[in-house]
Amino acid sequence: MKSLAAITFIGFFCVIWTNIPFPFPVPEGFPSPIYKFQNNPRTREGFELGRKLFYDGLLSKDGNFPCSSCHQQFAAFATYEHRLSHGFNDQFSFRNAPGLFNLAWKKELDWDGGINHIEVQPLAPLLDPHEMAEDLNHVISKMKKDKTYPVLFNRVFGSPGISSQRILKALAQFTASLVSADSRYDKMKRGEVHFNQYELKGYEIFQQKCSRCHQEPLFTDFSYRNTGLEVDSTLKDFGRMRITGRKEDSIKFQVPSLRNVFLTYPYAHDGRFVTISEVLEHYNSGVVQGPTLDSGLRKGISISSDDRFYLIYFLETLTDSSFIKNPLYADPAMGVRNEAPAHLH
Amino acid sequence: MPSPMLQRLKGFSYSLILLFVLGSFQKKEMDSTLSIQFRAYVHGVPLELNKKYQNPFGETFEITRFRFYAGKLAPVYTNANFKSKIPSHYHLIDFSDSATTRIELPVTAGIIYNGIQFQMGIDSADQNRGAQSGALDPAKGMFWTWNSGYINIKMEGNSPFSTQPAHIFEYHIGGYRNNYNTVWQIKLYSTNDQSFMISKEKKILIEIGMDLDYLFDGPTPIHIREIPSCMKPGELARKISENFIGTFTGLTISPNP
Ligand code: HEC
Ligand code: HEC
Repeated sequence: MKSLAAITFIGFFCVIWTNIPFPFPVPEGFPSPIYKFQNNPRTREGFELGRKLFYDGLLSKDGNFPCSSCHQQFAAFATYEHRLSHGFNDQFSFRNAPGLFNLAWKKELDWDGGINHIEVQPLAPLLDPHEMAEDLNHVISKMKKDKTYPVLFNRVFGSPGISSQRILKALAQFTASLVSADSRYDKMKRGEVHFNQYELKGYEIFQQKCSRCHQEPLFTDFSYRNTGLEVDSTLKDFGRMRITGRKEDSIKFQVPSLRNVFLTYPYAHDGRFVTISEVLEHYNSGVVQGPTLDSGLRKGISISSDDRFYLIYFLETLTDSSFIKNPLYADPAMGVRNEAPAHLH
Repeated sequence: MPSPMLQRLKGFSYSLILLFVLGSFQKKEMDSTLSIQFRAYVHGVPLELNKKYQNPFGETFEITRFRFYAGKLAPVYTNANFKSKIPSHYHLIDFSDSATTRIELPVTAGIIYNGIQFQMGIDSADQNRGAQSGALDPAKGMFWTWNSGYINIKMEGNSPFSTQPAHIFEYHIGGYRNNYNTVWQIKLYSTNDQSFMISKEKKILIEIGMDLDYLFDGPTPIHIREIPSCMKPGELARKISENFIGTFTGLTISPNP
C-alpha cells in the first residue's frame, strides 16, 4: 500500500514533469487559428522534440537533408536564394520552398493546398525521392537505435515507443508554433511605432491594389488564384488542378503570405522572380490572359514607378527580425544564425 | 459549506461511480463476438497472391498485392427500429497477411441480426484528423503525401496485357473530395435471407465473399490492356471504386467452431 502511494506520488510528478503547459499565444488582431493543438497538447518538451527533429539529418536518407536544409531560419524558413530547393542526390524539388510561419492558420498547405493537415505535411518531403528520400519504418528504426530519441519520446508522450504518429505530432508542435507577428507593420498596428510617409503611402497603395488577395493580418486570404503566370514548360505545374482534377482550377496557386517577403526570395511557386520589383512588373505588364485568370487581373494591376517605390517601402515593414533571430526556433545544437553560412550551396 | 477541494473530490468520486456504472453497462452490451472473414475469389477460385488468373475479358494476370480499408463494421438488426452502435475504427484488410482478413467484432448476444454493414474506404472526416495510428498509420503505405488522403484500395500485379514497364498494373484507388468520392456504405445480407442470433455460447462466423471478376467486369469495364494504372483521385478512381463494391457478393453464415 505504501509503495502504491509512492508510485502514485512519483507518477503524479512525472505527469507534471511531462506536461509543462506551453500556451500558444494568438497575436493581437489575428483570427482564431485552425490548428489548436487539439489531440496534441502543446508542451515545452513536445516543442523541443519537434525542433530537434526539424534540424536532424537523421530524418533523411543520406543524413544531409533535414527539414532545415530547405527551410532556413534567416530566410524566414524559406530556402535562401534558391528557385527550387535541392534534396537527395542533388535533385531539385518541384516547387519553391515557402517561408514557414503562421502555419497554424492554414487549413491547406503547399502551393496547391494538397496537404489537408499540418500534422501530415512532413510526410511529403520525408517520402519524396527528390527530397529526404526516406521510408517511415526506416526512420523509426534509426530513431529507436539512437541514444536520445527513445528517452525523449517517452518523456513527451508519457510511454515508451516511437511511431510515425508521434514523430508527426512532435514536428507539428514545432512548425505550428512558428509565429511571426512582430514586424514593423505589427508594431505600427499596436501603436508602438508610426509609419513614415513613404510607408504610409505604400500601405495605402497596398490596400487599394493588393489586399483583396493578400489580406491582412496574415497577408493572404488562402484562396487559389491564377495571377497570369505562364506555365513553365519543363515543370508543367498546373497548381490546384493537380489536387482537384477540375479544369476551373488550372494554374491556380494559393495566395502566399507577404510577411517576411523581403527574406523569402526568389518568388512565386517556381521561384521565377528574383526580386520584388520583378513581381510588381509582372502585375503591371506581364499578366498572361487565360480562361482561369483572376477576373480582377484581366488588365493587370497598374503600378507606376512611384507606386512601386512606395509599395517596396511598405513591404519592407513586413520583415520580422525578431522572428528570424528568435533562439526558440533556432537549431538547438547551433543557436541563431544571422546570415547564410559560407558553405551553403 | 464544504471546502472547494472537498467539493471537487466529491465530484471526482461521482464521476468515478458514473464511470464504473457506464463500464459495467458497456460490458453487458458487448458480451459476445462475431467473427467476420473476408474471402476473395477469382472466377470462383480462392485468391492466392502471385498466382495466374484470367479476368472475364480473357486477360491473364497475377496479383502481388491487394489491400483495402473497411471500417465502421457492425451487424444489422433485423428489426429496423434498432440501430447498431457503429464503432468508429477501420481495418486494413491485406491479403498478404491472412490475420488481417479476419475480424473479431464485439456484439450484443441475444439479438437477431440479418446482415453486416460497413464502410469501404476512409470518409472525409477521418481523412482530416492529422497524424493517425493503428490501421491508419501512414507507415502502412496507404497514404498519399502530396495530395493528402488515404488510398482506399491498393491492387498491384502484373499481366502480359499491361503496357506499363515490366507489365505491371497498379490500381491505387482513393479520393474523398467533391465528385471524386470513392467511399461507399455497404450493407450485405445473407444469400438466402437468413437471420442469425449470437449467444455467448453459440458463436457465428460470417464470411464476406468477394468476386474479383466484377472489379474488371463492372459498370465500367476495366481492361488491363487499356487501363493498366490508376494512381490518383479522379473520375477513373471513382469508377473503379464503384466496380470494387460490386465484388462484395454476399454473406455466408455458419456456426463458428
Ligand atoms: C528538399 C527541400 C525540402 C525539405 C528537405 C523539406 N521541405 Fe518543406 N517544403 C519544400 C518545398 C519545395 C515546399 C513547397 C511544396 C509545394 O508547395 O508543393 C515545402 C513546403 C513545406 C510546408 C508548407 C508550407 C505552406 O505554407 O504551405 C511545410 C509546413 C514544410 N514544408 C515543412 C517541412 C518539414 C517539417 C520538413 C522536414 C520533415 C520539410 N519541410 C522538409 C522543401 C523542402
Ligand atoms: C488576384 C489576387 C492577387 C492580387 C490582387 C495580388 N496578388 Fe500577389 N500573389 C497572388 C498569388 C496567387 C501569388 C502566387 C502566384 C504563384 O506563385 O503562382 C502571389 C504572389 C505574390 C508575391 C510573391 C510571393 C512569394 O513568396 O513568392 C508577391 C511579392 C506579391 N504577390 C505581391 C503582390 C502585390 C504587391 C500586390 C499588389 C500590387 C499583389 N501581390 C496583388 C495573388 C494576388
